[in-house]
Amino acid sequence: MDPTYLQFWEKQNAFIKNVIWPVSIGSCIILIGLAAIFVYTFWKQHYLLWRLGKEEDCSDRISERLKTFVSVAFGHARFWRGGKEGYPAIMHFLIFWGTLLVFLGKGIRLFSLLTGLSVPTQSTYLLASALSEIGGGLIIVGAAMAVLRRFVTKPSRLDSKPDDHLKYAWVFVILVTGYLIKGYRLVLAGGSLPPDVFSWAPISSMVSQFILVLPSERLNELLVWHRVLIHAIPAIAFFGYIVVSRSSLEHIYLSALNIFYRSLKPKGAIRPIPNFEEAETYGVTEIKEFTWKQLLDLEACTRCGRCQDNCPAHLSEKPLNPKKVIQDLKAHLLTKGGTLLPAEPQPESEPTPLLGEVIPEDTLWSCTACLSCYEQCPVFISGFDKLIDIRRSSVLMESRFPAELKEVFRGMERKSNPWGVEKGERADWAKTLGVKTLAENPDAEWLYFPGCFKGFDDRNKKVAVAVVKILQKMGISFGVLGPEEGCCGDPARRMGNEYLYSMLVGKNIETFEKYKVRRVLTTCPHCYNNLKNEYPQFGGDFEVVHQTEFLKDLLDQKRMKLHGGSSLTVTYHDSCYLGRYNQIYEPQREILRAIPGVTLKEMERSHDRSFCCGGGGGRMWMEEHQGKRINEMRVDQALALEPNVIATACPYCLTMLEDGLKTRGKDDSVKVYDIAELLEKSMV
Amino acid sequence: MRAIAIVIEVLILMGVIYCLFMAARLTILDVGFRTKYDRFIRWALGIVGAVLSAFFVAHLTLFYPKLLP
Repeated sequence: MDPTYLQFWEKQNAFIKNVIWPVSIGSCIILIGLAAIFVYTFWKQHYLLWRLGKEEDCSDRISERLKTFVSVAFGHARFWRGGKEGYPAIMHFLIFWGTLLVFLGKGIRLFSLLTGLSVPTQSTYLLASALSEIGGGLIIVGAAMAVLRRFVTKPSRLDSKPDDHLKYAWVFVILVTGYLIKGYRLVLAGGSLPPDVFSWAPISSMVSQFILVLPSERLNELLVWHRVLIHAIPAIAFFGYIVVSRSSLEHIYLSALNIFYRSLKPKGAIRPIPNFEEAETYGVTEIKEFTWKQLLDLEACTRCGRCQDNCPAHLSEKPLNPKKVIQDLKAHLLTKGGTLLPAEPQPESEPTPLLGEVIPEDTLWSCTACLSCYEQCPVFISGFDKLIDIRRSSVLMESRFPAELKEVFRGMERKSNPWGVEKGERADWAKTLGVKTLAENPDAEWLYFPGCFKGFDDRNKKVAVAVVKILQKMGISFGVLGPEEGCCGDPARRMGNEYLYSMLVGKNIETFEKYKVRRVLTTCPHCYNNLKNEYPQFGGDFEVVHQTEFLKDLLDQKRMKLHGGSSLTVTYHDSCYLGRYNQIYEPQREILRAIPGVTLKEMERSHDRSFCCGGGGGRMWMEEHQGKRINEMRVDQALALEPNVIATACPYCLTMLEDGLKTRGKDDSVKVYDIAELLEKSMV
Repeated sequence: MRAIAIVIEVLILMGVIYCLFMAARLTILDVGFRTKYDRFIRWALGIVGAVLSAFFVAHLTLFYPKLLP
């Protein structure tokens, strides 16, 4: 070996043995102590708080959980979707993977002397050095992007606390002092640097060019000691800070846990109230009535604000911000939770009700249950399930709900529809079409379940007629329940009236069993979601298909012949209950593309980022006193594309969008159609 | 050049001190000290920080390596 390099590496080994190793061993001892403190604080600050909550089994399907964990935590799968979150996704990806590389490199180098890896020619040591250097570089780039975003461009969804200033400054200090150590070591070796130095120390070798050295070797070694300590002390303290404080850095482990323990039930399926008949309380009145997983949700939130960026209530200036809901509940959990622990007896005090004290009433009733908050959250936190639980308590325990809902509940209870129209009128729309009921045709293959809108709303009756005409043309064997059909219960459940919901579900399941229904075709996504994902909680066991899937299948089978009409520019509005709830996005679009003359244009907010029409979560029957009207905002988004037709596949959306067009004075030039209507018109 | 190097070193050292002190303050508040003590904590850490910065400036001015001729 070249004697200059031999001298260089001997010097490096000397520094590693004399300075870096003692500091590293000391750091490891402290880290072991910190790990013990972490276990204690985790138990005390988190685990005990979660134990306050009710049971929820999240231990099923471990392999699926691990798979999701790897793709979401390591691959950032929930960050990249849609390409709208590219900047923060790249930013966090760089910081995350940079950190992993730094730890990998440090780990290998820490054990290098034990395993003989520090021999200069050992390529593993050099690779470890390169990993650390590159990892550090990635963190600096990612953190610089984060700082630029948080403190310069300042998107409205980010709120900054002192901790946010600190963590970036701290990481920068640790990395810079780390590069200075290696830079110093390189330059103190004397002579020229090895020619391959840039490949294993790309940043430190550049830093070494600017470092001044002391005249004596002893003083220089002393300075290396200084530099190592100036790096090691803040680095160790950083871990201590993560362990002891309640900083946002807790997300490193809390968000990871939340990803692993995410609900694997159908998206947005609301939890039933166990032992409804015997339960003494319903829903959530105080914080400890959430489940442990819901409490973990609160702690796992990092205030990234993606939820508020797509929340129709927040964007329409209603008093609901999903991030604030979670943060307010979290703050309440942290302050109130400790006093509820059995290990820390406190003077008897009245339980703090969440409604009114933590969550204002207007906030509670502003949610449209569109599931956007959950869908946008990178770590699967849902705000809406907590609001539904509080609604349950408000409705069932206190009979406290917006006045408009009184008639709606009464209508559903007495006439099995939200408008309180006589049951006998439910199937009037089908009289002239020769549609048989299951009572008349018990051998029908399909139960067509049009839902309340199709049964009682004049505009939506036309959609049911179109669907029936298609089914008849295709020779599908189907029947309806007619007056025996009841409301699926979706609005009642999402408005918190679980009692009414369970009653409606019970009646419908009884009717289904009476006619031995096995296959159900729905036109309403709310009915579809309920029958498919929530009825099984009550023993409902049947195949449920939405008309869009059904019609798409018919198209695929080449059983339909479509003719060209006038050319139409169509934009499709995704229903929350088909899209975000059930991930049905493409059949509707494929049907539209198959219709001759249709040019499909996508709104900016589409697919999983679609903007709610404003009618879900019972909002269809509530007054919209505050802020802008959600349906008008959605209509404006559609009108920006200058379409002839706004297509949808949901009666709620159809009604809300038509209303929006009317108030915008565009109902003459732009029409709202259900996909079934467009398809039926184009059929030969 | 030496003066610039000293300024950079002082900035790095004060960065370290800022991080440690700020973390101490936030942790103290997190573990249960009431926010009414925050003002006192800020002042105490501020004074110690000022003393440390004076020390770093003096120390580096005295001992930082001279530029080679």
